[in-house]
Amino acid sequence: MLIFVGLLVGQGFTTAVRLYAEMSGGGNGPAALPQGLTPLDGILVPTWGAYDLAATLLFPFVAIRLIAAEKESGALKLLLQLPGSLLTKLGAKGVALIFAWIVSWIPGIAAILLWKSYGGHVYCPETINLLFGHLLRGLLAAGFAVAAAAIAETAASAAIVTLGFTVGTWALDFVAAGRGGLIQQLATYTPTAALRTFEHGLLRLNIVAVILLVSVAGFVLAAIWIHPGRTRRQQTVWTTLLMAVLLTLSVGATKLRASWDESENHRNSFASADEQLLKTINSPLKITVYLSPEDPRLTDYEQNVLQKLRRMMPDLHVEYVAGSQTGLFENASDHYGEIWYEMNGQESMERSTIEEVVLDQIYSLSNINATARQDQSDFPGYPLNAQPKYVALLFYLVWPVFVALIWWFVRH
Amino acid sequence: MDQLIAVENLTKTFGKRPVLSDVSFVVNESEVLGLIGPNGAGKTTLFECLSGLLPTVSGRVTYRKQPLVQSQRNKALFYFPDGISPWSEQTVNQMLQFFQQLYSRTRERLDELMAVLRLDELLRARLGTLSKGERKRVMLGLGLLTPQPLLLLDEPFDGLDLRQTRDVMSLLRKETSSGRTLMLSIHQLVDAERVCDRVVLLNNGKTVAEGDFAMLRAHANLKDGGLEEIFLALT
Repeated sequence: MLIFVGLLVGQGFTTAVRLYAEMSGGGNGPAALPQGLTPLDGILVPTWGAYDLAATLLFPFVAIRLIAAEKESGALKLLLQLPGSLLTKLGAKGVALIFAWIVSWIPGIAAILLWKSYGGHVYCPETINLLFGHLLRGLLAAGFAVAAAAIAETAASAAIVTLGFTVGTWALDFVAAGRGGLIQQLATYTPTAALRTFEHGLLRLNIVAVILLVSVAGFVLAAIWIHPGRTRRQQTVWTTLLMAVLLTLSVGATKLRASWDESENHRNSFASADEQLLKTINSPLKITVYLSPEDPRLTDYEQNVLQKLRRMMPDLHVEYVAGSQTGLFENASDHYGEIWYEMNGQESMERSTIEEVVLDQIYSLSNINATARQDQSDFPGYPLNAQPKYVALLFYLVWPVFVALIWWFVRH
Repeated sequence: MDQLIAVENLTKTFGKRPVLSDVSFVVNESEVLGLIGPNGAGKTTLFECLSGLLPTVSGRVTYRKQPLVQSQRNKALFYFPDGISPWSEQTVNQMLQFFQQLYSRTRERLDELMAVLRLDELLRARLGTLSKGERKRVMLGLGLLTPQPLLLLDEPFDGLDLRQTRDVMSLLRKETSSGRTLMLSIHQLVDAERVCDRVVLLNNGKTVAEGDFAMLRAHANLKDGGLEEIFLALT
């Protein structure tokens, strides 16, 4: 896994640096606006995307092996009789797994250092936030895989269950996009969606809490199923109880509203003057959106307006009315494209999804006189026309040789 | 001899199929108790139930006449299964040292076991690369490093040659003379006859007979004959 991760990181980093150089005007091409060039989006997220892939397709099998190999070899029968509680033993395995996950970050950290050596900019808070997201991603993968390995009879069955779960969360992500309601709320906590939040520089307490709860529940579930001397009936009862507790705590955790925008360009926040004004609004706001899930305007509206509004307005209710527009016999309704705002018994309609226009609508409904806006963005952007030097040497030669040497040293 | 463990009416089913039915017997202090029976008699299941690895439908286990609940079994006994190949990536030395340190056993104790079981030559080998007999010797070494008063060994002589079997038998006898109690599941009746003080005969999940060889012979209405004749008469 370590060698594969190094190769993936190397590939991701090379592509990211080249694209970033092109965007920065390299190769005599047109340069993008400097404000649009953030190392988080341009370098860190694509490079560390290798770890999302590893957490989906490689790391779970390492975690499964940790339990399944002991079940199949008979080592578990000895382990269960050794001193110490079962949770302590599983906790030790969890710590070992997380340690291994962090060790696998060495190529990712090396990529960040290489980027710095090219003269690239790295903003610490958003970088640490991204790494924290990957830590939670690894913990979640470990928790689920360990539970699957404990319940399934063989490693192969556990692998099928784990892959099934991953594909299921991808399907949920796809189906929930722009649907609203419970399904969209649920999709916020899928591994991919949760990691995306960190990739946007946002730290949300509810996501952290839910991932931690589910991960710990995975280890507790594993303890229930490999606990010696339990009947299948007892295991089922304890599992049901655990699920009930997990559901209750998770529902409670989703209500946690605290969040921190760690991105350098404050992409998850409105301008501070607007945030101050929005904080003074106590009335509930209802937004009815007549846009279909596949309409790019809805994507813009969701990412640029609704996500920020949800952070600022606790009493926001969004209703997605329009269904799909892609079906052969589906036609747009008369209201299609409209966005209705309702507050204090007043209603207004606007079609624009631009942040300033939406805010003006809200201020108008809440009888707030908004002061004249000024462009408060002080994010300079960090264009850099650099070439990925030493990448092939480091990730395709030094790292595999280093891993092979460590393996040889451990074995001898 | 004082009673160490008493098993009363132990019953175990897999689904609706009974595997152990009202099994009862006693293990005395510092004895070698043999568990014999035909294939499928329930010997391994009995060991797994005794060690708390498998749940039972009913039954009671006492340790020095006090009830021994399932979660406390590893305080009184340790069970080493047959046919396992654990921790294949670890070396013999790593595992022996792990058990020695885990149970705070002296270096002299470890050296003694390594000498008798001839483990010195295997120290650098990985468990996954050992032959069946070598692995059995290592497992015996690990088992004898555990401190519990009762050690359950499933087929301890399986895979050993004649000389090794004799060496291990004398080692086990020495263990009991120093106060430890052993319960061995053995399918080679000749071996059982050589090493065991008493025997529990299990057939179709039921205790058919229990006692020393004279008692078993009487139970089988035999005037003479070895364990094989007793076994054939009672099963």
